[in-house]
Amino acid sequence: MTAHTIGRLIGRLILGLAAFSAVFPMVWTTLNAFKNRVDIVTPTPLFIFEPTLDNFAYVLGRESVFAGLVNSLLISAAAVLIGAVLGLPAAYAIARYPNRWSRDIQFFVLSLRFLPPVAIAIPLMVIWLDFGLYDTRLSMIVTYSLLTLATIIWLSVPAFARVPKEVEEAARVDGYGPYAIFFLIALPIALRSLIGAVAFAFVLVWNEFLIALMLTTSDAKTLPIVASELTQLGRDVPWGILNASVVLLSIPPLLFIGVLSGMLNSAFKRKTQ
Amino acid sequence: MSQKNNLPAVFLTPAMGILAVLALVPTAYAIYISFQNRELSRPDGNLIGFANYIDLFSDRRFINAIGVSLTWEAVTVGMTLLIAVGLGILLFECVSPRTRNLLALLFLVPVILPRVSAAFVWKFAFHPLYGIATYPYKAITGQPLDLLSNPATALATVALVDVWQWGLFFAVIVLKLLETLPPQPFEAAKLDHARTWEIYAFIALPMLKAPLISLAFVKMIESLRAFDLIYVMTRGGPGISTETLDMYAFSQGFIESGRISYASSMAVLMMIATSIAFTFIWKRVQ
Repeated sequence: MTAHTIGRLIGRLILGLAAFSAVFPMVWTTLNAFKNRVDIVTPTPLFIFEPTLDNFAYVLGRESVFAGLVNSLLISAAAVLIGAVLGLPAAYAIARYPNRWSRDIQFFVLSLRFLPPVAIAIPLMVIWLDFGLYDTRLSMIVTYSLLTLATIIWLSVPAFARVPKEVEEAARVDGYGPYAIFFLIALPIALRSLIGAVAFAFVLVWNEFLIALMLTTSDAKTLPIVASELTQLGRDVPWGILNASVVLLSIPPLLFIGVLSGMLNSAFKRKTQ
Repeated sequence: MSQKNNLPAVFLTPAMGILAVLALVPTAYAIYISFQNRELSRPDGNLIGFANYIDLFSDRRFINAIGVSLTWEAVTVGMTLLIAVGLGILLFECVSPRTRNLLALLFLVPVILPRVSAAFVWKFAFHPLYGIATYPYKAITGQPLDLLSNPATALATVALVDVWQWGLFFAVIVLKLLETLPPQPFEAAKLDHARTWEIYAFIALPMLKAPLISLAFVKMIESLRAFDLIYVMTRGGPGISTETLDMYAFSQGFIESGRISYASSMAVLMMIATSIAFTFIWKRVQ
């Protein structure tokens, strides 16, 4: 009995350390974002200091950061919209109208994830250069639509499959056509999981780095690229500004943490019933 | 649902058409470029057949990159699953459901962060002079600890960040999987005085074999995307000790020489290798 209690105590200690490691690095970065440079460059880490908003003011006032923010928002939003408008109906068709190609289609969509990003980015760079669209928002939106479309289809097929068939059957008996069933029955019922899928696609393209690095040089640069350029600055590193830009970059994905955790819960809950 | 209507065609065609064009055109073009001698500074190249591929096999940096990439895959996949199973079981076993949900939410934070952010946060934490992770070492020994500039520790340090992101996330999934298991076998084993670790080793984990293999598969695919972390934290250095295949392809194509055709031949080989490996594993998993 006592061995068991000690075991539980050690287990809790390990979990506490893991939770601390999950959260503390970002908390520390946020603290540093409010510090003056002298308070960051100290031999002993400082927890109590005179907070300053200079870093955020500098980052937000910088044209490159602001342009990156606008680019990231526009490109991610447009790509997610295209992915949702085309991907949700496709996922519904795969889930509800299985045919002899369904498995192949699903494997094809998954296999897009096997492609090394570097293998897509190099030829796309050449293609967009040839079209005269290199380093434009349009080319980035089209490229990211590949990611959002594949992701949204892949995550929405199970969401639509979980919609009870009897409900759709009842709607058909009531005289609903196949399109009305999709828009008025299946879509609203599956909505919560679908929002999770769409949010996931947004986080994916918001965080995307390698393709953006290769396909943009100035006009269409996204926020991760701008932030990474700040982190490569020379000798006299403006640490406070760096920390502030990393915090700024991380806020949008963190806003979706509740939605994504909800999606995870609903994905595993139904299996038990 | 067998009634005839045109919904599947109308719903599937545009999405599949766009996916096919967006995936197949670049793939075909990557193969085409790889047979040329195109460079960034000269837009037109000549077809030179397999010359790029033949050069690759006498390129020692390429051979090194294969080794680094394979090490990276093995270390990150193995460590992620180990940590995920360990923490997942602890979450299931040691805390009340309410604490469990709170911890599960916190464990999602690292994986949601942009990899550029995660890379920077840890790069700064490992800073030899001002880093908070290296501070205890410095305080005790009086020596600065520079893990990212040491060829022996750099790759492991970057891998730690990847495992931090994915291990905690997968721990939540392992927890959810454990919650879906029926309780009867556990109760029966407890009546037979099985120890806790025996219950997991001989009952729970074997029951979860299929989903755990799928998780390993997902992690293998995601581990191919090491580029962001390595680019921000070490840029392939010190020397070439953390230069993975995508990092090397990138520096050949963009940083050092602008040899896009050469970089493309590398990308094509990666594409072929991963497609064959993953198709094979996927068919086995099914």
